[in-house]
Amino acid sequence: MAHQVLASPSMKVRVMPPMLRGFLWAGIAFLLTNSLVASIRPDVGHPFVNEVSITIGWVAALTGWLLGVGAYEGVVLPLFGVTPRIGQATDWRRYFAFATDHKVVGIQYLASSAAAFILAGSIAMAMRIELASPTIYFFHYSDQYLAAVGVHGTIMMFAVATVALVGGMGNYMVPLMIGAKNTVFPRLSGLGHWLIPAGVLTVAMSPLLGYWTTGWRGYEPLGSQDPSGIIFYYLGVAAMALSSTIVSLNMVTTIVFNRAPGLTWPRLPMYVWGVLTVSILNLIWLPEIQMTFILELLDRLVPLNLFNAAGQPLAELELFWLFGHPEVYIIVVPGFALWNEIIPVMAQKSLFGRSWAVIGLIFVMMLSGMVWAHHMFTNMRNSEILPFAFFTEMISIPTGFGYMAAIGTLWQSRYRLTTPGLLVLMSMFNFLLGGISGVYLADPPVNLQVHDTMFIVAHFHYTIIGGMIFTWIAATYYWLPKISGRLYSEFWGKFLSIWIFIAFNTAFSTMFLVGLEGMNRWVPAYPPYLHPLNLVISLAAWALGTGFVLHAVHIVWAWRKGPPAPDNPWNGRTLEWLTSSPPPPNNFAEVPIIDESFYVYGDAVKPAARNWDRLKPS
Amino acid sequence: MDLVIFGVVWIILSVLAEWGFNHIRANTMYYLISNEGTIAHHAFNFLTTVLTPIFLFVIWYLIFAAIRFHAKSPDAKPSPRQSTKNGLFTTVWITGAIVVNVLFWLHPTAADMEQIFASQLPSKNRHDLIVDVTARQWEWIFSYPQYHLTQTVNAAGQDELVIPVHRKVEFRLRSYDPFHTYDIEAGVIHSFWIPAFGLKEDVIPGETRYEYIVATHTASYYTNPEVRVQCAEVCGPGHPWMEAPLKIVTARQFKAWIRHQQLLEHVVST
Repeated sequence: MAHQVLASPSMKVRVMPPMLRGFLWAGIAFLLTNSLVASIRPDVGHPFVNEVSITIGWVAALTGWLLGVGAYEGVVLPLFGVTPRIGQATDWRRYFAFATDHKVVGIQYLASSAAAFILAGSIAMAMRIELASPTIYFFHYSDQYLAAVGVHGTIMMFAVATVALVGGMGNYMVPLMIGAKNTVFPRLSGLGHWLIPAGVLTVAMSPLLGYWTTGWRGYEPLGSQDPSGIIFYYLGVAAMALSSTIVSLNMVTTIVFNRAPGLTWPRLPMYVWGVLTVSILNLIWLPEIQMTFILELLDRLVPLNLFNAAGQPLAELELFWLFGHPEVYIIVVPGFALWNEIIPVMAQKSLFGRSWAVIGLIFVMMLSGMVWAHHMFTNMRNSEILPFAFFTEMISIPTGFGYMAAIGTLWQSRYRLTTPGLLVLMSMFNFLLGGISGVYLADPPVNLQVHDTMFIVAHFHYTIIGGMIFTWIAATYYWLPKISGRLYSEFWGKFLSIWIFIAFNTAFSTMFLVGLEGMNRWVPAYPPYLHPLNLVISLAAWALGTGFVLHAVHIVWAWRKGPPAPDNPWNGRTLEWLTSSPPPPNNFAEVPIIDESFYVYGDAVKPAARNWDRLKPS
Repeated sequence: MDLVIFGVVWIILSVLAEWGFNHIRANTMYYLISNEGTIAHHAFNFLTTVLTPIFLFVIWYLIFAAIRFHAKSPDAKPSPRQSTKNGLFTTVWITGAIVVNVLFWLHPTAADMEQIFASQLPSKNRHDLIVDVTARQWEWIFSYPQYHLTQTVNAAGQDELVIPVHRKVEFRLRSYDPFHTYDIEAGVIHSFWIPAFGLKEDVIPGETRYEYIVATHTASYYTNPEVRVQCAEVCGPGHPWMEAPLKIVTARQFKAWIRHQQLLEHVVST
């Protein structure tokens, strides 16, 4: 396959497709390292592939994968002053290799997240087949079901919910929205994306090493007595969390240092505020969860007895939720920001209470680290519950600021109910139900009844699917003309949005009821009196899954075959709309100079950038 | 005009919703028959009563905005009304949010915690029934040390929990495996949950935990499946089946049942 050659552009060299080379180098590295470890491990009689060798072999395989996919030419050779024989592709192949353009990296993240969403979503479909009957019939054994729960949750959390709106949309849009030509750490960022497919594959393959049963939280001491599959859970999460850490480092640095002249902090776009606050959360909490999982891995391999009855079983729970609650705000904060990014554009109306909306994002970021123990009311002294119940109830105040700004903006506006406009309203509806059910959960007596039941499952799916996934789809439709230069079909966009809205609310509002009626979590079988409602949930869940797939089909169709879009179809004021669609490699023909707000509309407003007419490439 | 339509419909919707809620308030958490379950049920209903108008405000607003404010044509025309602040609205919203959340923390949260603290204190001269609960993978084992019973079972040989109504029960919760061949401390985290009691407590290896509860009705698993002991924290492949039937009986029936169990375990002879 021919690539662009840096040394002499006329000479064509034939190299392997980078992803294929990555797989090959990963396989070779794993085989060599695993054999080496297996041959020097002192105890007799261990299998050729054992827990220690697979851990060290995995690190080697990951390194081989990253080098093979393009880090060798993109990072290692330049580090030693060698000009690589091949450069980065400029055609479609650039999406399948190490890349340094933030827009290519953004699309890579979006595609990986979407693929992970479909993969983990099909696992959810299998779970709902099982739960359509009170007895176990679809999975062969209970531990297969529990492993499915774990793989579903882990991939959804670390490869979709944490990634799509930060590594994906963030990487693509943030530099454009702040008038930057590229990000501060383009090579690190390009490397970071390839940790996501590696992590997803690792977690997806974990059942090959044995069905682990802990779910995405990895509770101890259960994890330490689970089969070896849980090792691939620790390792896969380490890779995916590292990827998001890299994204966050890159985003924070880029937002601080690469803003266009005149783009002061008070003028920073809402979505950029969202990515900034969420990136700071990531930088604080992702290293914490990685350390926890490394401790759990060592606890198992050495073993250290950190988290069993000889150590302190509760320590793992505390360390997990210390990250686990900020994680849910890591997921929804970009969503809050996007509501107030899209609504003013669709309404062509000035954003109401903008500083309150920003204060809301910042306070949610700060409070999110103070509420985590509400996941453990069943494990605490009564006196410890009160402060955590207090902060948990208080966090709804800054969350409400986002709603306040949106409601104020919508009032007496002329709101264009396009597909993204509709999806934003639906997302606000869904997240409201998630948030209101959270008020019940913050109250300890109610919590002690519904904790660990399907009520909780319904609650967090309302916040994550309802708040984040719906907004992700809205953002995809909103920026599709910018990214692809093409328009989608309004009919199919709205039809499918109403479809998923109805299916989603049917499935998950019914799930609140089965939880209240006494159905606990993590069960492939349940008492027969819960059967009718579970059947309703299963049918609606399948309708929802189908709706998501149809959205994906529609988006891919629009991306490739949709009618051509103008550069600024919504008449948006943020900077990404002032360049061409899709944007050129360096984003703008010249550096934008900002001297107006992005969120003020009216008859007499001027474009936000002084040199708006010279930003497009000629 | 918009304000009047929105406000009037919102008030009507709220009144209708509260009226409807009043009809189902006895069963909002399905079936709860314990002192602490009653606290949870009252808290649930109080929260619903206060939250209903707030919830409807936002939901009705989103629908209202989609109907009343949507643009008739897709052209990008500026909205006729442009405003970035409204002091009254912002003040009412933020003050309201703070008041409602502080209220919820004081009542039901803090007020109910006070009651729960009190119910969890051992009373003087108490005649609490003590039940030792042992969670192992995957079985609940019930012992009644005051009656010298080590493992109570029903006619089918399943572990069975029977407690008297209106009497405080002290559950002592431990997680270990008395039947393990060489390592009885090899336990995992379980969660002791009786859906009909409205309360659960995790059972942690290496710790002994206490839970006090008073059942307020006689009931049986065989007439209502929510009257069961259920493990609520994932504890391995046997987790879904880690449950035990529960009966809440009168004092006289309890005495007879204890006598029967004592005969089975040869604590007493006929």
